[in-house]
Amino acid sequence: MTITFVKKILANGEPCQKCADVQRRLDETGQMAQIDHTIIADERDPASEGMVLAAKLSVKRAPFFVVESAGEEPTVYTVYFKFVKEVLNGQVSKAGQAEEILRGNPDLDFI
Amino acid sequence: MSPNIITDRRSVKMPTDVMSEAFDAHANVTVSFSGAEDVVLIDMATNLTDEVNVFTLDTGRLHPETYRYIEAVRDFYGIDINVVSPDGAALAEFVRENGLFSFYRDGHHGCCSVRKIEPLARHLAGHDAWITGQRRDQSPTRADVPQSQVDTAFSTEERTVTKYNPLAEWTSAEVWTYIRENEIPYNELHDRGFYSIGCEPCTRPVGPNQHERQGRWWWEETTKRECGLHSINLASDDMASGDMERDDLQSTNLQVTS
Repeated sequence: MTITFVKKILANGEPCQKCADVQRRLDETGQMAQIDHTIIADERDPASEGMVLAAKLSVKRAPFFVVESAGEEPTVYTVYFKFVKEVLNGQVSKAGQAEEILRGNPDLDFI
Repeated sequence: MSPNIITDRRSVKMPTDVMSEAFDAHANVTVSFSGAEDVVLIDMATNLTDEVNVFTLDTGRLHPETYRYIEAVRDFYGIDINVVSPDGAALAEFVRENGLFSFYRDGHHGCCSVRKIEPLARHLAGHDAWITGQRRDQSPTRADVPQSQVDTAFSTEERTVTKYNPLAEWTSAEVWTYIRENEIPYNELHDRGFYSIGCEPCTRPVGPNQHERQGRWWWEETTKRECGLHSINLASDDMASGDMERDDLQSTNLQVTS
């Protein structure tokens, strides 16, 4: 199994805040060791490796993870905690899950 | 259009019809009340059922005026209001690690997650459906809110939660006309320039011609909150319509999970 972590750089050149947060979580839990490749989707450069991969896999959000196994279609995870739970078999906190829900459902902002 | 939308947008229903639909379809419906103009939901619901189940999320950071208003609504309608609080241990851990004002530095998502989303998820775990005051005119993030939808945020493999947004098609002006015509009590902060009312540190009055969204998390740049990939290479119908935050990923030959 090969895992690719795709991080985003915003159009203004700054790193994506959520990507940084995911990176921090991976580092703190030691799960970064299970990531085989980390590539960048640079919004300023459509030819950047991550942007090309996103286009190829029809992914519209970042960060995301691509899990590839021999003989199988790649699986894309755009929800970090789901990726951790299903692929890395890790524990996810309620607060972490809640934050993922909020980030994935911005209409909840005003609740 | 997102596949989880039940209602055809072209067939707009009256808010009370949407609520009736909810009460008819589900045995366990809960009405969300934020302590602001969504009080109209309570007014409508109490006209439809004697057993209205109302909840509000007490983040612990609301304005004193909002707490007083919640109590006033309880008295006005003679109803119970479930005041749902954050998980004590999770909140204590969050505050210990991040302090009391981390949202000004790190953005509001972390704090909102602990104070609002986790309690909301916990409350909805005991209900089949919920009714919200979400309206399309409130913010760009709500521009596509339908009158009813399967709530993919809180549904699980075992159970489906349906979200009803009876006011989705209403404007702020229509809501306020309803409040005034029916002489419903409202949060006194509205008289002081507050349109959208949330937690005290994250809410401010807005001036003339400012969108209500500018009264919330004004220090954050919208572009930094978006998770979409913005590039002409990735342009699609969804992106063109501003629907970049949804999880409706399209794929024909690979598995995409989100």
